[in-house]
This record gives sequence, C-alpha cells and structure tokens, in this order.
Amino acid sequence: MSSERIVVIGGGPAGLEAAHCVAELGVPVSLVERSPALGGTPISENYAALTPNFESAEVAMGRMIDRVVEEPGVDVRLESEVTDMDGEAGSFRLTVATGGAETVVEAGAVIVATGFQHFDPGRETQMYGYYEYPDVIALQDLEAMLKVHDVVRPSNGKPPERICFVQCVGSRDRRIGNEYCSKVCCGVASKEAIEVRQQLPDCKVFIFYIDMRMYGYWENEIYWPAQEQYHVQYVKGIITEVLQKGDKLLVRGEDTTMGRPMEVPMDMVVLSVGMEPSQGTRTVAKTLGIEQNKYGFIAASAPPLDTVSTSRPGIFACGAALGPADLEDTVSSAAAAAAKAVRLVRRRRVAVAAS
Amino acid sequence: MPVGGRKQAPDAVEHERATVTSTVSGKEWELPGMWNRMFEQRVIWDYTTDGFEKIASLAGGESLEWCYGCAKCVPVCPVDLVGEYGPRKIHRKVQTGLDLFTSDDLWLCTTCANCLRVCPKEVDMIQIMPAVREVAVGEGRIPAELQEVFEKTFRYGNALGENPRRRHGWTRDAGVPVRVLPSEPGPVDVLFYVEDYWSYHPRGQDAARAFARILASLGVDYGILGAEEKTIGDSQRLAGERGLFEALMEDVVATLVHYEFKRIVTPDPHGFNALVKEYPKRGHTYEVLHYTQLLAPLVDRIEWRKELDLTVTFHDPCYLGRHNGEYDAPRRLLEAIPGVRLVEMGRCRENGYCCGGGGGGMWLDGFTANHTSERLSERRVREAVESGADVLAVCCPYEVSRFEDGAKSTGNDGLKVRDIVELIDEAMGGAERA
Repeated sequence: MSSERIVVIGGGPAGLEAAHCVAELGVPVSLVERSPALGGTPISENYAALTPNFESAEVAMGRMIDRVVEEPGVDVRLESEVTDMDGEAGSFRLTVATGGAETVVEAGAVIVATGFQHFDPGRETQMYGYYEYPDVIALQDLEAMLKVHDVVRPSNGKPPERICFVQCVGSRDRRIGNEYCSKVCCGVASKEAIEVRQQLPDCKVFIFYIDMRMYGYWENEIYWPAQEQYHVQYVKGIITEVLQKGDKLLVRGEDTTMGRPMEVPMDMVVLSVGMEPSQGTRTVAKTLGIEQNKYGFIAASAPPLDTVSTSRPGIFACGAALGPADLEDTVSSAAAAAAKAVRLVRRRRVAVAAS
Repeated sequence: MPVGGRKQAPDAVEHERATVTSTVSGKEWELPGMWNRMFEQRVIWDYTTDGFEKIASLAGGESLEWCYGCAKCVPVCPVDLVGEYGPRKIHRKVQTGLDLFTSDDLWLCTTCANCLRVCPKEVDMIQIMPAVREVAVGEGRIPAELQEVFEKTFRYGNALGENPRRRHGWTRDAGVPVRVLPSEPGPVDVLFYVEDYWSYHPRGQDAARAFARILASLGVDYGILGAEEKTIGDSQRLAGERGLFEALMEDVVATLVHYEFKRIVTPDPHGFNALVKEYPKRGHTYEVLHYTQLLAPLVDRIEWRKELDLTVTFHDPCYLGRHNGEYDAPRRLLEAIPGVRLVEMGRCRENGYCCGGGGGGMWLDGFTANHTSERLSERRVREAVESGADVLAVCCPYEVSRFEDGAKSTGNDGLKVRDIVELIDEAMGGAERA
C-alpha cells in the first residue's frame, strides 16, 4: 500500500534539516536516530564552534533540534535503528528496532543522513604517534578542549606554548585507501587555530600543509584572518613524523621553501583528521541495498547534477553520508533530498487520485 | 586526559633495545627501526615568529606576514634569479627565526616592485624593506659603502660627494646657453631638475648637454638651479635614510619657493617618484614630468637631420614604469627617431628587469656581489644582446654607467648604451648643429 510518509535516517545536521523541510512541506516524517540524542557529530564529538562563523555548536544545533521536535508532523525515534526494508518507491516497509521492540513503518521515500566519522589516526601510515604520545591529539579532541576553554597539554595539564596542526591526516592517501580530500579540515584547523590564539594569546600556532584548500569564502573568512589578524603561521610542507624529545614533541618535515630538512619542537600536535563513512552509513547502505563508492560512502546515482538520488529509486542520501561535506554542503543537500522525496510521494498521490 | 574525542592510550610495550637472534649464527642483531631512530641526537632547528611582530610594529611592515607562499614572486624577483634572496624566502626565513634587521638579505632588495606587481596578498616589500632598513640605519648596522654615500649626500647634497658649486659645470660644453636661475632670475615654464648623475657623471653630463640642445631647439623656456640644486634623495630614503630624505625635502622646498616655474622636469625617475608620491604627503605639490613626458608630446616639432640606422632596445626604469606607470613616452620618442628600429626584450614594460640600481643598489655593488652570481645589470645586458639590438636605450641616469660596465664585463663591448636624449640629439645633428 502506498504511503506518503518519509523516513529520515540519522539525526545530525543533515537529518534534522531534511526532516524539518519535509515536515514544513506538509508531509509526515519519521526521524530515526540510533543514539539517545539528536544533533549528530557536532554534539557527540563536543565541537566548540561551527566553521566558518564561530557560532557555538550547541546553540546552533539546539536551534535545529528545537525546530524539528516542535514540529507536530515529525515522529522522532531515538535509540532506534532501521534493521530491514522491503517494498519499492512509494510503498517501502521499514523495520525499526527500538530497544528490544520492532515496529514496521510504511514510507513512500527514505532519506539517508547517516554522516561520517573522523578518520582514526591509529591507521595513518606516517608516524604521528597519536596513541603513543599524549600530546598528539586530533581535531575533535582539541574541539572538546576549546569548548570548555581548557586547552592544556594532556601530558602535564599545562597550557601549550607552541602547538601545530598537521593537515591531510587520513586523506589524499593511496596507501590508506582514502584518495579523496576531506574538504573541511583546512577550514576547521584554521578555525581552531584562531580559537587557540583567542584563548591562549601567548601560544604560537603553526599549520603544516600540503596545500591549503579553503573553498570559496572560507579563504577570506577563515584563512586570511587566521594569518593576518591572529598571526597563525602557515608552513608549506607536511610533517613526516613526530618524535618525542624530552618533554617536547619534535615534528619533522621539509622546509620546502628553503629546500632542507626541518625539525621543530612543539608542545602539542593536532592531527587534522579527515572524514570516513560512519558505521551507520556503511550499515544502512547494506540494509537498504543502495550502492556505495569504493570508500564506503553512499554513491549518488547521477552526479554532478543530481547529488542526492541513490541507486535505488525512492531512496535519497544527503550530507556527509555521500562523502566529505561541510555544514553548508550538508544542509543544502538535505534540503535537496527533502524536495526530491516530497516530490516523489506527491506525484504518486496525484497519480493514485487520477486513476 | 581532558579530551573529548575517543582517544584512549593503548597498552604499549616499549623496549629499551630491540634485538633479534639469528637462527644461523645464534648471534644477537640490533634492529634498526623507527623506535631506534627516535633516540638519535638531532640538531633542532627551532623557530620563532617574533621577527614578524617586530617588523609588523613598523609603519609599512605589517604585510610581510601575509605571505601564503604562492611563490609568484620568485620568477620575477631580479635578485632571486642571480642569488638566494627572494621575497617568499624572506617570509620563510623570518618565520624560521631570521633577524632581518641584522641580515645581509636586508640590503639585497632593489625595491623594483615586480614582486608587489604579482603578489595576490599585497605583501609590499617597497614599504617593508625601507622600514626595516631605517631601524638598521638608526642602529648603525649598514654596509660601509652605503654609509659613505649617505655621508656624501648629507655633506654635499649629492650622492657622488662632488662640489655643489660645480653642479652646472656640464653646461659649459653644451653648445647652447643654459639659464642658471640663481644668476638669471625670472619666471620660467620648466624647472629642469638635473639631479646627481646628469650633473656630475661624465656620461650623465653627455645626456644633460644633449637634453639642453633639444630644449633649445624646441624653444622650451627653462632654467636650472645650478649650485642651489640638491638631490631629492629618494633612493637614500628607500635605502633606509628617511631622516636624510626629509631634511633634503625641507631644503629643496625652501629653495623652490624662491623661483617661479610652472612645472618640474627631471631625468631621474627616482627623484620623479618622490616629487610625485612623497612630496604631496608633506603638502608639497608640484606639476612634475619625467623628461620623456615633456618631450613625447613635442616629438612632431623636432627637425631631424640624420637617419641613425640602428636597432634599439629599451630598458624600462623601475621607477618610471612599474612605480609610476609610464611606459609609452620613452617608446614614442624612440619610434620617432629616423632610422631607429625598436625591438623589445622578453622582459619589458610591466615586467621589465631591474638594473640593480634602485633602493640603494646603486651604491651596494660591492656588497651585493658577495651574494649574487652576477650583477643584475650584466644579466640585463645579455638580454639586450639577445634581442639583436645595437643599442640599449635608457632614460634613467643610473643606467648608462651600470650597463656600460655590464657590457664590458660580459664581453659585449659591441652593445652601445645610450640615453634616449643622446639618440634624439644625434639624429637632430648633435653638437655640430647647435
């Protein structure tokens, strides 16, 4: 039996935007989220402020969450997972498991918004020593410190005097298998660098990079202010390895401008980890039977002009489930997915009424 | 550990030494490996960013830190082509602890402005270098040969240390009368500001005489200041002696106030630059022309007597071209000379190569030679020869002597170096006609 309901899987920025759009268009929506809370990675990973505008992640995501939970047309199901699906576009039947209980939800279309996870630096092929040295951390670890205004060296609890970011960790790497650019890390690292300079004005901040990839306005909104107003030192040439020297970390690389090897002592090293498909993205793709690309992200079926349709009619994907995406990309594709899903169920309703 | 990600320390087993026992010999072998390299002694090349703060605190110094390393400046920096100096490298060296205030690099920039022309971030070496040099000069850290020129300028009012009373000595052999305003007062249309090298350098004097004959032939109403003229001193300013420049400006303005003229014409693009850009900042505004700008509109009135049959290439002075945007007036003059075929060098106009004389470079040849594989003027002479020209034409008083030296030292004696006015004068019949 055909259904007008749309199921959105994932309660992060993409899922919240998609659910809100669908509801505002007057179509009933079920939002299925595996964890006990909405908000997605910005909340669960303790992001301090959003890139590029520095708004508090909690405030910004709180606004998105409120919009959805206050919408009467949205049926929010926390701690729930889609475990099975059959049917076809217009008349899907999804099995949703909540705790021990299973219910069947009928839906005309499904929007997958299952997002990404941070690359695990334990898998990198350089020698950055993430699990070996306490003072080597990742972007999201620093986010958590920035959030509570307590940027300190994990090894001794003291504020760092010199801190550096190492870009492209887990991205653009054939040996790791992630050949793609994760797109957001240059901006996020620069944003965090600015926050460090704001919170610890005496701390020197360096960013080692292959090439700074600041898309569009991020160049003038983040990169140039970081350099020109906050005196963040950008250094071309990526770090090869991190070594311990006394109570410092030595970062080793090439001084590409002068063409010679370089070693610099740091108090903290922040690895700018990239994006990988979340476990949820991998699982849901299999459950729903939609194609994934070689990296495990959900494959858009007709790029570049259709970014949200998948290999299975009636199922759309959005946000970082499709690949590396910043928040601007994420909400844009979420709205696109909502529009296409609503169009599909409405067309069917018109067709049914006419027959 | 107050981290909010999922980081958990793994159970690590750390060995003091890693060895493996050979199954053949039973001997223990040390394993070379990452853990092992970690304990090697290494030279730490530390760096600090304090240099940027110190430079940014100077007026005009803030943009050095803006460099994002795109490297566009490298192929256009004239010094980078013959040495290790380069704008991007200066940024990087300061980032890695260089004290620019005490570094030899400070004196290598000729302020030619080609890096600024191509820089997307507007890193402005034309302001940075003089600002830092000013501090170095104040602290007495300055190459001796440059210090000597500053002293001569201070004492005699000219960079060559010549007797101020002989400033108009060149007029004697001009073949035409030259009005020296202090002894022949009265209003004139044009104040001919001769500047140092046309006043004193023998080859500059040749050009000054040629220019006087051209002005006479065209009936231009002009005069010179004679012994009352002092250098404008713009290159001294860019080399770090702003105080000297300001003092000279006071003297120059105090002199000019005694004379009635409509416009100032000078052969020196450096003095021209200061009169156009620096003097107005202190409220001294004059109508100022480079001599090519005076002559170009009059070129149709010139009576030519002779066809020269020369292939000529033209070197754009940095301070006339890039700094002040005048590329056409000199070319208009050259193209008007009967028998002159103008050919361009690969680097010309906006991308013109620097002769090495700007920003104090004129007086740092000995110092610079220790840091470069050849002089910029020598490199430029080679380009002129490659262009197929018989004559390298110039219109900056620094250049005739620089390029004639370069032609000799590179074994290109066949290349003649001529100021544009010398070519015009020759085609007008020269001294014989006058």
